[in-house]
Amino acid sequence: MSGTAMTAGAWLCLLAPLAATVLIALVGTRIPRVAAGWLSTLSTFVAFGGAVWAFLGVHSQHRIAHGCLLSTTSCTDRGELTTAWTWLQAGSFHVGLQLLVDPLSSVMMLIVSGVSALIILYSIGYMDGDDEERRYFAYMSFFVFSMLLLVEGGNLLMLLIGWGLVGLSSYLLIGFWHERPSAVAAAKKAFVMNAFGDATMALAFFVLIAHTHSLAFATDFGVHLSPAAQNLVALGLLGGAVAKSAQIPLQTWLPDAMEGPTPVSALIHAATMVTAGVYLIARAHPLFEQARTVELVAAGTGALTLLVTGLIALVQTDIKRVIAYSTMSQIGYMFLGAGMGAYASGIFHLLTHAFFKALLFMAAGLAIHAVAAEQDIRKLRGVGRLMPYTKWCFLAGALALVGIPPFSGFFSKDSIIASAAALGTWYGWVLWVCGVTGAFLTGLYTFRLWFLVFPGEPSPFVREHFHRHHGREGALTMLVPVGVLAVLATGGGWLQWSAGWHPLTDWLEPAAQTLAVAAPTNTQEYFTSAATVLAGVAGIAVAWAVYAERRLPIPAAPAWRRLLEQKFYFDALYDRLFYAPAAALAASLRREFEEPVVLQTGTDIGDTTLETGGVVRRLQTGLLRTYVLLLAAGAAVVVLAFLIAR
Amino acid sequence: MLGPGVAWYVAVAACLFGVGALGVLVRRNPLIVLLSLELMLNGGNLALIALSRHWHNGAGQIFALAVMAVAASEVCVGLGLVVALNRRRLSLDVDTLSELRG
Repeated sequence: MSGTAMTAGAWLCLLAPLAATVLIALVGTRIPRVAAGWLSTLSTFVAFGGAVWAFLGVHSQHRIAHGCLLSTTSCTDRGELTTAWTWLQAGSFHVGLQLLVDPLSSVMMLIVSGVSALIILYSIGYMDGDDEERRYFAYMSFFVFSMLLLVEGGNLLMLLIGWGLVGLSSYLLIGFWHERPSAVAAAKKAFVMNAFGDATMALAFFVLIAHTHSLAFATDFGVHLSPAAQNLVALGLLGGAVAKSAQIPLQTWLPDAMEGPTPVSALIHAATMVTAGVYLIARAHPLFEQARTVELVAAGTGALTLLVTGLIALVQTDIKRVIAYSTMSQIGYMFLGAGMGAYASGIFHLLTHAFFKALLFMAAGLAIHAVAAEQDIRKLRGVGRLMPYTKWCFLAGALALVGIPPFSGFFSKDSIIASAAALGTWYGWVLWVCGVTGAFLTGLYTFRLWFLVFPGEPSPFVREHFHRHHGREGALTMLVPVGVLAVLATGGGWLQWSAGWHPLTDWLEPAAQTLAVAAPTNTQEYFTSAATVLAGVAGIAVAWAVYAERRLPIPAAPAWRRLLEQKFYFDALYDRLFYAPAAALAASLRREFEEPVVLQTGTDIGDTTLETGGVVRRLQTGLLRTYVLLLAAGAAVVVLAFLIAR
Repeated sequence: MLGPGVAWYVAVAACLFGVGALGVLVRRNPLIVLLSLELMLNGGNLALIALSRHWHNGAGQIFALAVMAVAASEVCVGLGLVVALNRRRLSLDVDTLSELRG
């Protein structure tokens, strides 16, 4: 019974958004724009319903597995794998069109469909009056479908298909305002950098197929490979995860992706798609545990990213870019957690991050929407005075982001940093210090943004451009999802407190069990919480002293400032290393090969034909009798030739 | 076999063809050119029929019938051209009709 519920729920969840995409695309202009928005929203809520249904199915099976079959490691406690049909077959290699519903994917389905539903509802208000709303909603539904395919896919190939499709929908939505050249360039950049990750993933799959003839998610997946192959496959998967989740060194596309509409940034570039890398590590954890070095490299990548992007966020002036850098920093925490083996903590931070980051983006979107699409924080000063609702919602999100108890970020972030202390090695302590420093930076950049934008007297720019929407701060469709997310961001963290209760860790245990080495003791837990909260509060205090009270000057240090403003020169470096040589090669090929060889050949053929024609045309005298004479002479020659040859 | 040998027939046919060809080459009046063409065709026909009889093979006679049909059509077109030229008051001289010169 529960098996059917799981399967039916999973298919419903997957296909409802696809149906909305197809329907909006097919009916086109025959339905009003608003109807397209509501259709998309409704389908995503149906998908959420399907996810709840599947979750309840897993829940009842989970109880059975925990009640009577506790000691067995049978397939049932990993959830239900349904195969629609065998899709690819080559000799002994089969790939089915499979969906996997297990504790991990059911949690991800809930997060993805729930947050998507709220954000698409918000889009109805945000995109109202845009010229191409129908296209927007078709893309959004398509994204939800792709993301659900990614988390529900029952083998690595299905996961890769979802992985590629989310990249495509991200490309389409970043470039949604296609009349802006900067949006088109950002879309291409995102696509190219993601394609790099897709390629390393595909290479990892080839190695897996060559060695095991299978792409299934088995519990022993990757265990029988040679150590070299394990490391290679794990590195390939890590490359994909790093590209999709915008971690160093493939992080440069995410800030540019803010060219898309704000709800897109909230949904794709904060709450769901960019966290797919964390899901991949949790899903492929048996393999990563075999290649433990690579897994620790993932943790180190996360730690490095959270520091670097936290520093860059300090000097950004675009409200969305500050939040984008903060997203990369928070995904760095998730990588840190998942890389150390604390999968449940990583997924838990993914969940709370989806709430508070979507909230921050959407509250920022309310402000941007009310002030003539202005995103520069120097011009937005004092907007909170005019928008109290937005202000308080943003504050809830900001406190959750910094991890101030009892807001949700406190619960999830601290358990990740505590896991670093649990590792006990020097590497673990380095990661721990990075995590705590990151918490300080989070407090600093988040409240720099807060003190610059929300409190204080409204700037002349804000006074001039501020407008209300029917007497409210925004359309109801925008205010309601922001309110719901504010509640979730405030209270969502109580779901789990590692030192007290941990239902999420228990729930995920059959799918991705936290490694014993990364499970902190209660002492480590309290000690880390105290350090992190203190660091966060210190960050807030510094931000207050510098940006609100102006007691401390902003440190000058022009060299450092330039380093941060140039984003640690990553873009410039990639430009020198990859773009400039490619462009130079193309230019030299054009000069050395295309113009002299390809173009010149064509011209030569034409010239020769013309010249020959000029000579031959003189034979055409137009005199009928000449032709006849030549004909007769030719015939005579032929006859003579025959006579002689005989 | 009655009558002269096949060589005589072929000789007559060759004479007819030669006279016709000469006419086509040297005369400039299109009517006479058409007339000479008919002579050439009939020279060919005569050779076909004579050799057909000589080799006891009917195919040559059928060819001759086909040549007659083609000759009839050709005369229709040719005379039509002559009439058209006359209507436009153009001189009946094939050498002046050389507009297709390259």
